[in-house]
Amino acid sequence: MIRSTRRRSVVVAVALASGVSLLLAGCGGGSKGAETSTKASTEKPTGVANSTRVLNVWAGSMTPIVSNFNPFSPNVLHAAMGPIYEPLFAFNKAGSGDPTPLLGESYEFSADGTSLTIKVKSGVKWSDGDPFTAKDVAYTYNYAFSKPAYITSAEATDDTTVVLKFDSPQFTNEFSLLGTTFIIPEHIWKDVKDPAKFTNDDPVGTGPYVLKKGSVSSQAYTVVANPNFRDAAQGKPAVKTVRYVGLDGNQNAEDLVKQGKIDWTGMFVPDVDAVTALGIGYINTPQDPTTIYTCSNADQGCTGAQTDKAVRQALTVAIDRKQINDKAFKGLGAVVSPTFALLGRDDKWITNDAWKESPQSADAAAAAKILEDAGYTKGSDGFYAKDGKTVSLTLKSPSGWTDYNQAAELIASEAKAAGIKITASTISEQEYFDARGSGKYELLMGGVVGTSVADPFQIYKDWFAGFSTTKVGTPLKASTWNFSRYSNADVDAAVKAAASTNDEAKRKEQYAVIQKNIVDDLPYIPVIINATQTFFNQKDFSGWPTQDDLYMFPPSWGSVSSGVILANLVPLS
Amino acid sequence: MAEHETTGEDVREAHLVTGAATTVEAADVVADGLPPDLDEAVGDGSLAAAVTGEPAAGPPRARRRDLMPSWSPKLVVGLVITGLIVLFAIVVPFFTLDPNSTDYDGLLKPGEQGHLLGTSAIGNDIWAQLAHGARGSLLIGVTVGVIALLLSVVFGIFAGYLGGWTDETLSLITNIMLVIPALPLTIVLAAYSSSRSMWLVAGVLGLTAWTGSAIVLRTQARSLRMRDYVLAARVAGEKSRRIIAVEILPNLLPLVAAQFLFGVIFAILGEAGLSYLGLGPTDAVTWGTMLYQAQQGSALTLGAWWWFVPPGLLIALLGCGLSLVNFAIDEIINPKLRNVPQATRRVRKAREREERAAATTEEAGA
Amino acid sequence: MKYDGRRVAFYAITLWAAVSLNFLIPRMLPGDPAQILLGKLARNGDVTPAVEKNVELILGGSDEPLWNQYWAYLDNIVHGDLGISVSKYPEPVWDLIKDALPWTLCLVGAATIIAFAIGIVGGAWIGWKRGSAWDHVIPFTALLQSVPYFWLAILLVYFLGMKLGLAPISWGWDVQTYDHPEWTWASVVDVFQHAVLPALTIVLSAVGGWLVGMRNMMVSTLAEDYIVTAEAKGLRPRRVLWVYAVRNAALPSFAGFAVALAFVVSGSLVMEQVFSYPGIGKLMITAVSNADYALMQGVFLLTTVAVLVVNFLMDLIYGYIDPRTRHHG
Repeated sequence: MIRSTRRRSVVVAVALASGVSLLLAGCGGGSKGAETSTKASTEKPTGVANSTRVLNVWAGSMTPIVSNFNPFSPNVLHAAMGPIYEPLFAFNKAGSGDPTPLLGESYEFSADGTSLTIKVKSGVKWSDGDPFTAKDVAYTYNYAFSKPAYITSAEATDDTTVVLKFDSPQFTNEFSLLGTTFIIPEHIWKDVKDPAKFTNDDPVGTGPYVLKKGSVSSQAYTVVANPNFRDAAQGKPAVKTVRYVGLDGNQNAEDLVKQGKIDWTGMFVPDVDAVTALGIGYINTPQDPTTIYTCSNADQGCTGAQTDKAVRQALTVAIDRKQINDKAFKGLGAVVSPTFALLGRDDKWITNDAWKESPQSADAAAAAKILEDAGYTKGSDGFYAKDGKTVSLTLKSPSGWTDYNQAAELIASEAKAAGIKITASTISEQEYFDARGSGKYELLMGGVVGTSVADPFQIYKDWFAGFSTTKVGTPLKASTWNFSRYSNADVDAAVKAAASTNDEAKRKEQYAVIQKNIVDDLPYIPVIINATQTFFNQKDFSGWPTQDDLYMFPPSWGSVSSGVILANLVPLS
Repeated sequence: MAEHETTGEDVREAHLVTGAATTVEAADVVADGLPPDLDEAVGDGSLAAAVTGEPAAGPPRARRRDLMPSWSPKLVVGLVITGLIVLFAIVVPFFTLDPNSTDYDGLLKPGEQGHLLGTSAIGNDIWAQLAHGARGSLLIGVTVGVIALLLSVVFGIFAGYLGGWTDETLSLITNIMLVIPALPLTIVLAAYSSSRSMWLVAGVLGLTAWTGSAIVLRTQARSLRMRDYVLAARVAGEKSRRIIAVEILPNLLPLVAAQFLFGVIFAILGEAGLSYLGLGPTDAVTWGTMLYQAQQGSALTLGAWWWFVPPGLLIALLGCGLSLVNFAIDEIINPKLRNVPQATRRVRKAREREERAAATTEEAGA
Repeated sequence: MKYDGRRVAFYAITLWAAVSLNFLIPRMLPGDPAQILLGKLARNGDVTPAVEKNVELILGGSDEPLWNQYWAYLDNIVHGDLGISVSKYPEPVWDLIKDALPWTLCLVGAATIIAFAIGIVGGAWIGWKRGSAWDHVIPFTALLQSVPYFWLAILLVYFLGMKLGLAPISWGWDVQTYDHPEWTWASVVDVFQHAVLPALTIVLSAVGGWLVGMRNMMVSTLAEDYIVTAEAKGLRPRRVLWVYAVRNAALPSFAGFAVALAFVVSGSLVMEQVFSYPGIGKLMITAVSNADYALMQGVFLLTTVAVLVVNFLMDLIYGYIDPRTRHHG
């Protein structure tokens, strides 16, 4: 029992002090690997001016960061894809042109497209010193765990040549084959028993960087220059240390960029001027179409007014794309083409000028005409109806995806002016992915993944082909993205025909068929090309991709491209 | 003495309904070490009598009047704030622009183009949203308050009074609900409807709001169970339902009212929290949805304080107003809270007066 | 003794019911984990076919009947195996919790203790000075109590963190100086600095409740017989305040404090999101948004057990702290 007041005040003091000391003590839990070097690299200049300056990157990782450098794992950390592991070629998503040779030197398809001969570089070493040969490449393409079904064989005919054989023409799969398959060392991976569970904490790759041992914590990890990198003789990479951090919100990242604590990141920032006013470098490379997914095919089980083509056609002329760009995307988006060819990069594949751009301003009268021609009549409440049923649709977007949410509100507003009732609402991410995967929705705000080569074919195949979809209620299979359940025999035939030829003229003929159909049917109503913003520190580093020299897709989260850019950077004194 | 009777419960479940005698002794309380010489008794026992249900010494009318709070400044301020906001919610929405319209330019400052509080990023008029949001938030608040009240009366008063297995079962459920993490439960419940109506959100909040109140009410019901008049009613053979309705509930009315107001505050803050996580109502504008959109739209970073600050401020003001009213109710429940500070203030003032008088006579006499 | 036996049984049933509900509720969340993960990956770049295949493999979903899953779950818990997280595959759930727990306990625990201490001392003082101008502090704390937590946090980050640069706004320690926190004075100070803003937001939003509760209890207590007796006996006011009044007035708050401490374990979701603080709350958010059943169950279990254990202990201890309850036992 506390008797004296003095002891009482001691107790209070102790309570406060214990509170404070709890903070100080024992908060060093950190994560595993804390024994080896805990000091960040700031020592040992190597002769190049200011080569000790660490480049801080945010590539989108959220905390807690868990060590995983297995390129086949969904939880792989960004540094594994490009800085540590490399594919044979790097494709430039931001421009048209030949791919950059990384481990490969050249490649050639056979006349019928069922075989691909690749020449790889010689004299390359793995980061542990072992020599890299075509055998590693063949091993990678034969690796049972990750091998795509269409590869029938992969063989190293000599130290620098690999021949891949397929079960069908693979002309259109260049990017997937050569640009996304990370080459793994046979001498390490042949001993890996469970590739799904392997976290690969000590990765051995050919890329410009290797993991700094012991640097992985719940908040960050560091990679350092690979002494065995094939361009090490040219002093590459010149930036010797790169730290990837984890953050939990764009706001946090934006604040840190402004404070100069992050040197490279890519994310949506609404007020660009506030950041660039501080001298921070900026580039916007709009890439991915933002669309309204419609569950369009009644035959596949879709229900709702949006299954009527007329309603979709009316909607596309009713929305005000300029207003959406100004208000929801802060003017940072680009004009979208209903052919889904990226304007400015894929222009040669647009088969009819009339289909070049989606209408940029709202035309309620045109929408009205389309609906009335299709048998809809305007009710007393101002909304169109057919057979007594008012056209009433739900448009959902995932909460937290602000640009989509704001766009959805604007679309609902604009549709109302044209007599179409749309209710915009946000749902949790889980529900969203569930809804689009299973087809149980009417309208969803959604993105289409832009192609990484200057050709919209992949979009036609993955998003429009009937064989890339399932009935409503059955989740889509992996690698297929046809959420709209669109299925058109003409389009399917054209896709198949285009895949089996390497002749541009013949391909364009098939694209004409595809585009004619999708521009008319509008299973995805294109809204805008979403901005892809990148912020970078141009005061302390040079070598970034710029508008004049867009040699690679700029954002920090770009796999493969991040490795190329990092190897290209030079610290300024 | 009444206040030490814990009827088998721990004193941490402290008696909030105190006996009559203490109010008389309030005047004997020492103020900062001064001897209890200035005797100004307050209270005549009639208030306390009303609370315990015994017949009042004075005329019956005194009962009801003394059950009402006295007009302390806290109560006045609380009622004024709450009243103004409620009026704002009821009247103003008739005179504003359409809160969902996006016809206006985005991010206009207050005053520009006739928008009293400017516009949001996509062009919603903030003043209109604030007014309609008040309606939304208040509706949710009151609904949740009612739901929580009903549930806490069942799980609290019924359980406390009836005792035995009913009590054990109901308490078990209460404890389990207390331990279940509210967030995922809320997500699951909210996710079951693809569009979350205001009523769904209110229902979900109501389901998680009652446990605290239930525990408090149960304790009080248990102690009241042992009171003379209740025992008398039981012996006389009155049904439990009647006893609860006639004897117990009226005595706990101030407490129940306080819990209701707590429920409303909890609901408004809870709705703001749910909206922040993206789980707010989809068919209505509330202060919570305003805050969510403002935060998502990076309002502060863009300098749009008129978008981010007003909803939060109004939530705080409303909560403050309701809390002040709650304090006044506390003072009914526990008259010492009002009388004691009053008494000590009078003692102190009287003492100062004395000292000043003594000082002037000294000067005069010098 | 019989009373205690019933109490124990009571707690045991509550524990079982809570654990079972913790098993059921995550499984009621909508969404297929595979679709969710792939969708999220696609939002930020290309998803290679190999990764997609891997996702299907890992997250294929259990075809086991629910009942079997339930028994396996109970069995695992008894053996201390909390399973493998899906959102951070293949990291075991226990490892994730183990790394995050110290941070949450330290920060949220310390902030709760500080808020309690300030609230109790402040409330005691205001209660002692009843009837004076100090009473006017109460409405201000009411205002503070009613402020939405995240609104306050965001404002503080904006003004104190960004505009005035008084304290760091992210992380538990400065990753740009230390890979991991160390046992050096500089590193410890750094950790402390990173805790200032988060702790401040928690303290500001929690202190009001303790303050008002304590003040009310103080006012009631000061009117009781034994206080009057102590004064009449001529004891010093300070002694009366601290030795007699506060001790008794604080008793009801202690139970609430214990429960609040127990809930510390569940972390502060919003705070950890706003500040990227490496605690348990962040794990909860990750788990829920990725439909990661194992991680969710692990975190819930932690909270449940902590709250029940604390409640149980308080029940036992209370008899010793407050003799008045003893003879009614």
